[in-house]
Amino acid sequence: MIEAVKSRLIDQLDKIVGSQFVSTNPADLYIYSYDLTFAESHSPDIVVLPQSVEEVQAILKLANQEKIPVIPYIAGGNVGGLTIPLNGGISLDLKRMNNIIEVSEADMYALVEPGVTFGQMKAFLNKNHPTLKYTYAFSPPSTGVIANAIVQGLDNLSFRYGAASHWVTGLEVALATGELVRIGSCAASKTWQAIAPFPELDGLFLGWQGATGVITKMAVSLWPNPPYNTALTYMPMDLEGANEILQSIIRTRIPDDLIGTSFTLNKAGVAAYEHRKMDLYPAVKREGEEPEFVITAELTGNNEKELNAKAEAIGEAVDAKCQSYKFTGPETMPSTTAAFPMQALGVLSSGGGLMWVGTYGPMSRWLETVKKGCELQDKYDITRTCYTRIMNEGHFVGLRWMLPYDKGDPALVERIKDLCAEQLELVLETGYIPYKTPVWAVRKLEEKVSPDWLKLHRRIKAALDPNNIMNPGRWGMPRE
Amino acid sequence: MALKDLQEWLYGCTHCGTCKDVLNIFSPACPAGEKYQLESYFPSGKMLIARGVANGVLNLDDDDTRERIYACTGCLSCEQQCGVYHHQHIFETVQALRSEAVTQGNLNPAYMVMVESLKKDDNVFGKAKAERGDWAKDLKIKDAAKEKTDVVYHAGCMLSFDPELWEIPRSAIKLLEAAGIDAGIMGAEESCCGGRAYEIGYDGEFTKYAEHFIETFNSLGAGKVITSCSDGYSTFKKLYPKMNIEMKFDTLHTAEYLDVLIKDKKLKFTKKVPLKVTYHDPCHLGRHLGESGIYDSPRNVLKSIPGIELVEMERNRENAWCCGAGAGVSQANPDFALWTANERLKEAQSTGATALVTSCPWCVRNFRDAVKKYGENIEIYDIAEIACKAL
Ligand SMILES: Cc1cc2nc3c(=O)[nH]c(=O)nc-3n(C[C@H](O)[C@H](O)[C@H](O)COP(=O)(O)OP(=O)(O)OC[C@H]3O[C@@H](n4cnc5c(N)ncnc54)[C@H](O)[C@@H]3O)c2cc1C
Ligand code: SF4
Ligand code: SF4
Repeated sequence: MIEAVKSRLIDQLDKIVGSQFVSTNPADLYIYSYDLTFAESHSPDIVVLPQSVEEVQAILKLANQEKIPVIPYIAGGNVGGLTIPLNGGISLDLKRMNNIIEVSEADMYALVEPGVTFGQMKAFLNKNHPTLKYTYAFSPPSTGVIANAIVQGLDNLSFRYGAASHWVTGLEVALATGELVRIGSCAASKTWQAIAPFPELDGLFLGWQGATGVITKMAVSLWPNPPYNTALTYMPMDLEGANEILQSIIRTRIPDDLIGTSFTLNKAGVAAYEHRKMDLYPAVKREGEEPEFVITAELTGNNEKELNAKAEAIGEAVDAKCQSYKFTGPETMPSTTAAFPMQALGVLSSGGGLMWVGTYGPMSRWLETVKKGCELQDKYDITRTCYTRIMNEGHFVGLRWMLPYDKGDPALVERIKDLCAEQLELVLETGYIPYKTPVWAVRKLEEKVSPDWLKLHRRIKAALDPNNIMNPGRWGMPRE
Repeated sequence: MALKDLQEWLYGCTHCGTCKDVLNIFSPACPAGEKYQLESYFPSGKMLIARGVANGVLNLDDDDTRERIYACTGCLSCEQQCGVYHHQHIFETVQALRSEAVTQGNLNPAYMVMVESLKKDDNVFGKAKAERGDWAKDLKIKDAAKEKTDVVYHAGCMLSFDPELWEIPRSAIKLLEAAGIDAGIMGAEESCCGGRAYEIGYDGEFTKYAEHFIETFNSLGAGKVITSCSDGYSTFKKLYPKMNIEMKFDTLHTAEYLDVLIKDKKLKFTKKVPLKVTYHDPCHLGRHLGESGIYDSPRNVLKSIPGIELVEMERNRENAWCCGAGAGVSQANPDFALWTANERLKEAQSTGATALVTSCPWCVRNFRDAVKKYGENIEIYDIAEIACKAL
C-alpha cells in the first residue's frame, strides 16, 4: 500500500475506532499474516478492531472508497488460511463485538455479534438458559459462532440438523459499500425466528468466507437441552465394518451426533486427555488386535427410560445388519458433548501446525474415499487420522484427515503438502467437496465447474462487492 | 533463559486461543489480551513474537513490539489454561524476550530507573537504603542481623517503603508475638530478593541478589524466613533453588505460617470481625508455585476468624484473575495495571462481599489504587491485617 494512502487511512481509522484499536505494528502484521496451516503468509497493512456496527460500516465505506481489501477475522482458526490477507489491506478483527444480544426462550434462538465465541455461548447458556443449548464444533472455545456458520461448520448436532449455516435464522450484514441489510424475519419484524418465507438471501453471505460482506449480527437456532445423555461406541476391525455400522445407525434417526475416527487418532486423543505425550511421527500403526475405527453415537433423552430405549434400538439395528463384520461394542461412555479439544490439542497440534483436507460428500462413496485417503496417509508414512461426522441424518457426510505437524520442520511441511495435494485429487474424484475451502482448493474446484457457474459466482461477487475489497482472491474472484 | 535455549518450544503454540479464557468457565484469563484485544498481546501473540524474533522477522528495537512483551503481568494464567506441551514455558519465553531486549541494549526507561535504584539502594522504588527498616521503628523487635532468632520476618521492598502498607508487616509481627514466636527483622540490612529484576529481563542483577540473600540467611542460622510478600516468596521457593546453592533455611508465607500456628493452637482469635469477604489468590502464591500453590492456608485462616463470611469469586485458586501489578507492569504501565485490578474488583463486588482479602502487598497496593481511580465500593485487606483485627 502506498505510504501516503496508508497514513491517510490510519488517520481516518483512528477517528472511527480510536487509535489504540488500529495497529501497523510489525508484530501484529506478522501474527495476522498466517495461520495454523501451511498456506503462504501475506501480511495485512493495518489491523483494526471495531466495536460497533456503525464503526464497521464506516470502515467499509472508507475501504471501498480507497479500494482497500478488508478481511474479517474472529480467531483465525478456520484451518483453511481464510483470514490471510492475500492482497494485504485491513485485517478487520471483530472480537470486540461480542454481545449476546438476545436469547429468545420461546422462539429458541440466540442473536449474537460476530465476536461471540463458542466458549462464551456455552457459559452464557449454562448460566442463564440451562434448558437450552447450542451446538458446538470440535474447534477451540475461542472460535466464533458466527464464523462457524459462515464456514458451514460441522458441529455436535449436525447429525440432526446439518451444517451450521442451516440453523441461521436471521442476518444483519454490512455490505462492502457500508450499507446495512437485514435478512429473514428480522427484516420486517422484531423477531429473528426464520429466514423463510423470504427469498433465501442468506446464501449470498453464508459459505462465502467473508467475500461478500461483513455479518454484524446473526440469529442461530437453540435447542432444548435434554437432561440425560450418553455415548455409544463401536470399534470395527475394518472400514467395511465401519461403513456398515454407520449406515445402520443412520437409518435409526436416533443420535444427536454420529462421528467416527481412525483408531490411531482416537488413541492419541485419549493419551492427550490423560496428559500423556504421544507422538504421531513416525507413523503410529495399529498393533495386534487393535480396531481400525472408532464410531461414537451421542444420545440424549428426557429421562433414563428414553435414553435406554434409544441405546437398545441402535444396538438392535447394528446387530441385525452387521453380523458379518468383526467389531466390538456397543460400549457406553460418558457423553463428551460440547467438550472442546483443549486437552487433546497437544496431540492435534504440538508443533504449531494443523492441516487437513476437509470435505463434505456423499455417504454412498464414503467407504471408497476413506480407504483411499487412509492409504495415502500410509504412503506418506503418516498416522491414519481420519475424522468423519454424519450430517443431516446421513444426507451428506463430513470427512477429513487431521494432520498436526511441526511448523519448524520444513521436510515434514513438504511431506504434508504433498499428501494434501494427493488427497485433494482423490476427494474431487469421489465427489467430496473441500469445505472451508483454502484458496488452492478453490482454484482446483474452479477448474472442475462449468464456465456458467464461474460467471454466476463472479457476477454475484461483483454485484455485492463492486471494488472487490471483501476478502479478495477467494470465492468469486481469483487473486490479481 | 535465552531465547535460543527455548527453541524446542517456539513452534509449540498453535494460536488456538484456548488460553484466552479460563477452561470450562470461559471467562477471560489473560489481562494483557483482554485489555488490548490485539492478538499480539495474548499469550499466543507473545509466543509468535518470540518465533518471529528468533527467525529474524521481528526486531526488539521496535518500541511498540517491546511494549507488547512488557505488557504481561507474568500471572501464568495462560500456562494454566493451555493444554499443549509448551505450556510451562510461555512466561519463560516472555522473559527470554525481555532479557534479549536488555542484552541488545533496548532498554525500557521505566525499568532503567528501577534497576539503577536496585544497584544503588537495594530496592526497586528509588528509596534510600537506610529507610528500609522504618516501618518497624517503634516496634520492639529483635534485630536479626545482630542476634540469632528462630524466625526472620522478611518485609520485602514494597512493604518496607510504602508507609500506607506498613500496617501489614506490623500486623504480621503482632501476630507472631501473640503466638509467642521468637522473631526478628533485618531492618536496614534487608535487601531486595531480586525477583522483579528477573521478571523484567535483568538476569545478572537477579543472580547477584539471590547469591547475596542465600549467603546472608545461611549465615544467620535462623531456621525459618517468614514473608508477607508473595512475589518474594515465589522467588525464594521457585527461583533460588535454580542457583544451586544450599539453602539452610525454610521459607513460609505469612498466610501459611498463620495457618500452622492456628492448627498448633499457638494462635487464637477471640474478637469477632463481622465482614463478608472474598479472597483473591495472588499469582505468585498460587500458579507460580505449580502443584505447591498455597490456596487453602489463607482460606483456613479466614475461616478461623469469628464473624467472617467467605464467598468465592468465579475465577479462584489456579484460575484467579491477576491483580495487574506483576512482572513490572505496575511500574511501567500503571494504566494497564489498574485496569486489570478493577476488573477483579468488579468480580469481587459481584459476590456481595464488602471486602477483598489477599496475601500480597503488590496486590493490595494495586487494588487500593484501583479503588481510588475507579471508585469501586470495596475495602482491601491483607490477610495479616484482617487476622490482627481478631486478636
Ligand atoms: C483443532 C480444531 C478443530 C476444529 N474442529 C472443527 C469442527 O469440528 N467443526 C467445524 O466446523 N470447524 C472446526 N474447526 C474449524 C474452525 O475453527 C471453526 O469452524 C470456527 O468456527 C472458525 O471460527 P474462527 O473464529 O476461527 O473464524 P475465522 O477463522 O476468524 O474466520 C473464518 C472465516 O469467516 C470469515 N468471517 C469471520 N467473521 C466474519 C463476519 N462477521 N462476516 C463475514 N465474514 C466473516 C473470515 O474472513 C474467514 O473467511 C476446527 C479448528 C481447529 C483449530
Ligand atoms: S499458548 Fe497454548 S492455549 Fe494459548 S494459543 Fe498457544 S497453544 Fe493455544
Ligand atoms: S502471563 Fe498472564 S498477562 Fe502474561 S501472557 Fe500469560 S495470561 Fe497474559
